[in-house]
Amino acid sequence: MEILAEGKGDYLRPDPDGFRAWVRDHKPRTLVNKLMGEQEAITRLVSDGDYFAYDCNYFARGPSSLIREVIRQGKKDLWVCGKFTYVAAALLVEGGCASKLDIGFVGFGPWLSKAVAEGRLQTYEYSNVVLTYRLQAGAQGLPFIGVRSFGGTDGFPNSGAKLVKDPFSGKPVVLLPALNPDVSIIHVHQADIYGNARVFGTGIAHVECALASKKVILSTEEIIETDEFRRDPARTSIPHFVVDAVVHAPFGAYPGTVQGRYASDPAHVVECFGGMMQGNLKAYLEKWVYSVSSHEEMLEKRVGWKKLQELQRRETIREGYSV
Amino acid sequence: MTPATHFAEREHLICTTARMIEENKSYWVGGGGEPLYTILLAQRLYTPGVQYLTEDGVVSPKALLPWDPLMTMVASRAGYRALQWGTMNTAGNFAQLGYVDIGILNTLQVDKFGNVNSTVLGPYAGGRGRRFGGPGGADTIAAQCWRTILLTDQQKRKFVERVDFISSPGFLEGPGAREAAGLPAGTGPWRVVTPWAMFGYEEKSCELMPMAVSPFVTVDMVLAEMSFTPKMAPQLKTLDPPTEEELTVIRSSLDVEGQTTGRGQWVELRDGKYMLAETQGRE
Repeated sequence: MEILAEGKGDYLRPDPDGFRAWVRDHKPRTLVNKLMGEQEAITRLVSDGDYFAYDCNYFARGPSSLIREVIRQGKKDLWVCGKFTYVAAALLVEGGCASKLDIGFVGFGPWLSKAVAEGRLQTYEYSNVVLTYRLQAGAQGLPFIGVRSFGGTDGFPNSGAKLVKDPFSGKPVVLLPALNPDVSIIHVHQADIYGNARVFGTGIAHVECALASKKVILSTEEIIETDEFRRDPARTSIPHFVVDAVVHAPFGAYPGTVQGRYASDPAHVVECFGGMMQGNLKAYLEKWVYSVSSHEEMLEKRVGWKKLQELQRRETIREGYSV
Repeated sequence: MTPATHFAEREHLICTTARMIEENKSYWVGGGGEPLYTILLAQRLYTPGVQYLTEDGVVSPKALLPWDPLMTMVASRAGYRALQWGTMNTAGNFAQLGYVDIGILNTLQVDKFGNVNSTVLGPYAGGRGRRFGGPGGADTIAAQCWRTILLTDQQKRKFVERVDFISSPGFLEGPGAREAAGLPAGTGPWRVVTPWAMFGYEEKSCELMPMAVSPFVTVDMVLAEMSFTPKMAPQLKTLDPPTEEELTVIRSSLDVEGQTTGRGQWVELRDGKYMLAETQGRE
């Protein structure tokens, strides 16, 4: 195949056979109880240097409690998949956890240029859909995927994409390397202890993330019985055999919203977003991450049940968010 | 339809764009701010059946405003009573298949070929420039919708000969460049709308060209807020001012707190002439 142009950015090398071997050797074929606490899940499954993806973001049905736990544990040198994300990438970089960032969209501010200028962060450029297409290829066990966007941009030379002559039509087409993260964290509405999970409403790429990743940690608002899945199997978003850990995390997306369950906390969202835009997330991390030992303690000491009940009341729309 | 006498220049931008929206076309709009307000205003007043898509795969919602800060997507009020809830890849697929006629986008910087920069002002390498968030969904919108409408402010630093970084493609380097880069045939930029003017593209050269100016500015004022001298259409039209009905919708149910429209200058009708409130003293 003739290569017409190619990006010079580093990218996580696709290895579909390596991925298959990983699945063969590591993923359980039976129903195994994977329920564990956030500390154990992050300790066991997130390693320094991992390629790290999360679905949705810190403000919208994202795994916010697990992102805080990653920062609390001081993980290092993560390569972060920055698709559709506001502040989580900034928190991970300013928390010293991330040294590489694939950018689709990230919450910007002085932190980003500063981290690059100081040599703390390498950035590679994509777009949101380009990254979710890379995950789609990874989720299909393929080495690459063709896409009819991204060509001609200045992101292209700073990416792992290639422009080739399509061997079938002879026309130029962009190829993207498949993306198989080492680890993904995904927040869901409901899961059982084995990892069967339901997501209601829209999402970004929760299914693609789960299927494409070597290690998958779910946090869930609610633990339900396996029989519930058998009663309505079409509503299973993620099957148990791709999942490695299930963390029961009510209000796990806080300060973000979980559609149909609770609204976001606007004051907290503004505090976090404002800290990012002003280039100072230290105070935020101290207050909400380092000075508490767990998500539960943060909810108790920093938020309080009165506020949490108010967030539930403010989420008035229920239609479509249950079976 | 009563012409308004007092309005914000960004309200004018929203109204101008809303009137360009057609009932029998499909739209992909940025999840918040002006792009969303244009389609919602059109839905309320002109094209009640018009369908739109957002980046999180929401198809034709009945958006329930107002929203909490930053709750533009993957939030229940934004996706309320949609016809379908998908994901980012389903949205991308629809556009790649040709189902989306027009994308409406904000941009930080635009150049004479309609290229969009949302990545960096200044140099990219080494973190020396002022960094922004990246293309997000805009690259897909700009590459794959049949046409795009870009919204931005009329400022010299935003209209440049060549953007500092092409985050999302316009006509790239000119005629034929999109196809050579692997983008779908027959697609590309269509309009740029600012509070002061509306631009199209000259068909042959693919270059940005003013088509109409707002009633409260002169052509020279618009040209003074561009870093390059554009080709000129033989005749420039004057855009209509907002109507009171449009402003009522914007102020009572779209941008109630003025978070978007509150920035920018105020326009007044004075002695039968629209003018920027700020410039009155000087004339």
